[in-house]
Amino acid sequence: MRGNGLAPPLLAIEGLAVSYGAVPAVEGVSLEIHPGELRVILGANGAGKTTIIKTVLGLLRPRRGRILLDGTQDLLRCRPHQIHRMGIAWVPEGRQLWSTLTVLDNLRLGGFRERDETVVARRIDEMFQRFPRLGERRNQISGSLSGGEQQMVAIARALVSGPRLLLMDEPSLGLAPLVVRDVFALVKEINAMGIAILMVEQNARQALKVADWAYLLETGRIVESGPAAEVAGKESVQAVFLGGHA
Amino acid sequence: MDLFLQQIANGLIIGSTYAVVALGFALAFSVLRVIHFAHPDVFMVGMFAGLVTAETFPFGGLALAMLGGLIGAGVLGYAIERTVIEPLRGRDVLTTLIATLGVAIMLQNGMALIVGPDPVPYPPLLPRRFLDIGPVSVTVRQAANLGICLLLLAFVSIYVRGTRIGRATRAIAERPDVAAAFGVDVARVCQATIVVASAMAGIAAVSVGTLYGSASAFVGLLYGLKAFTCMLVAGNRYFEGVAAVAIFLGVLEALVTGYVSSSLRDAVAFLVLIGVLYFRPNGLFGSYQT
Ligand SMILES: Nc1ncnc2c1ncn2[C@@H]1O[C@H](COP(=O)(O)OP(=O)(O)O)[C@@H](O)[C@H]1O
Ligand SMILES: [Mg+2]
Repeated sequence: MRGNGLAPPLLAIEGLAVSYGAVPAVEGVSLEIHPGELRVILGANGAGKTTIIKTVLGLLRPRRGRILLDGTQDLLRCRPHQIHRMGIAWVPEGRQLWSTLTVLDNLRLGGFRERDETVVARRIDEMFQRFPRLGERRNQISGSLSGGEQQMVAIARALVSGPRLLLMDEPSLGLAPLVVRDVFALVKEINAMGIAILMVEQNARQALKVADWAYLLETGRIVESGPAAEVAGKESVQAVFLGGHA
Repeated sequence: MDLFLQQIANGLIIGSTYAVVALGFALAFSVLRVIHFAHPDVFMVGMFAGLVTAETFPFGGLALAMLGGLIGAGVLGYAIERTVIEPLRGRDVLTTLIATLGVAIMLQNGMALIVGPDPVPYPPLLPRRFLDIGPVSVTVRQAANLGICLLLLAFVSIYVRGTRIGRATRAIAERPDVAAAFGVDVARVCQATIVVASAMAGIAAVSVGTLYGSASAFVGLLYGLKAFTCMLVAGNRYFEGVAAVAIFLGVLEALVTGYVSSSLRDAVAFLVLIGVLYFRPNGLFGSYQT
């Protein structure tokens, strides 16, 4: 699964710098992810995790840097809907469902890029088989679901687009501990289907268990990078996230 | 009782017209985040486009005049979107508000230069005959106006709920970034939204011109303020809510006219609407944070 040096990375971020007005949020971040991998960016609140994700999606314009898909496609030249159509899907921080739309309509919009309605319908059916509770609530307004159910809708919505790369922004945020375990199991399962996942998380303990590779982000800079098991042993990570007893 | 039913009928007729204009306002505000003050004047231009069509093709009837109104208003709406609204996207609401207000004034005065400042007669596209429906008596023109406006409202509801682009429209209204990140070409959907809103207004305008038998360069002013207020009172969460408030406003006005006095009509109606806003500042049916 790991890059072999011949195939270009699925996504490569090089020297990325992003600011809000004059305030820098991300400073010279470089990272990459290969097809089929699961990589995680760990970082505290305000470290710049969401900023990186939104820049990849084309929702923010960086000050400097390059973002390449398949080693050739320059994403900074593309608008968000074009980037999505290349196979990049998003599970946003805090879910960000269309709250007045039904579960079904949220999933249909997830399949917006696919013009063949029968393909979308089949994928939605698969989601309802995978998440029977969503199937039962398909005609319910998504804003009325529980936090865990909403997270399932957010993940299913992204999967209905048939992505190659899934960007997940703190999927465990604000969920009950039992649900958090389910979410990480699901992340692993999606990755096993062959979908590459770049996840950002504060829940380092769980994220390091499922990830292949981990980056540690501190105030907009990557300070550690390596196989997840190695990074889990680093003092800097232990001190910040794992309370010293990982 | 008969007066009551009669006034309800009158109220529905005028209210459904407010609703079409208000819905256009609401679509523009929710999807493009712009207070499109030129929208009522797009309605006005649609009215004159219908008039010109009817006078050029006297045998085309109401349908052809409406097609003229649809095209005139639709093209104008599209042009305003491309030249004024789109270039200012991302600026604060006040900037686009002032820009569209400028367009509104240009359209009003431009039309007044062409047709004069006073109302001009509208071609009689429908007979003036009365229809008796139970205790209520309405003209063919009134019945047609109600029917046309309700059809337009139903069309919008089906459009935003039942079609792929319509779903994308509602998705942008709540979360433009997420919509874009799920493959929606926001700029294109914004254009489609303005064209739909404008074309609808153009169709309704021909019906209204026919109903009153006159058209004026300043007819937009009457509808603009009311439509804008309806949008604020309903909130922008449900497009249907805006239509409901507009129809309610029409009925309220008719009842005040029938039972109190026509000079108090606007005062009472606005008092009630402002009262609603006082108790529900986000609107009767809620608003998305913008
Ligand atoms: N819209 C914004 N405007 C100004 N500053 C922002 C905005 N969004 C984030 N920031 C700032 O950028 C930095 C990184 O934010 P973010 O990427 O959201 O961090 P994280 O996702 O790791 O919590 C923080 O200091 C935050 O305050
Ligand atoms: Mg974040």
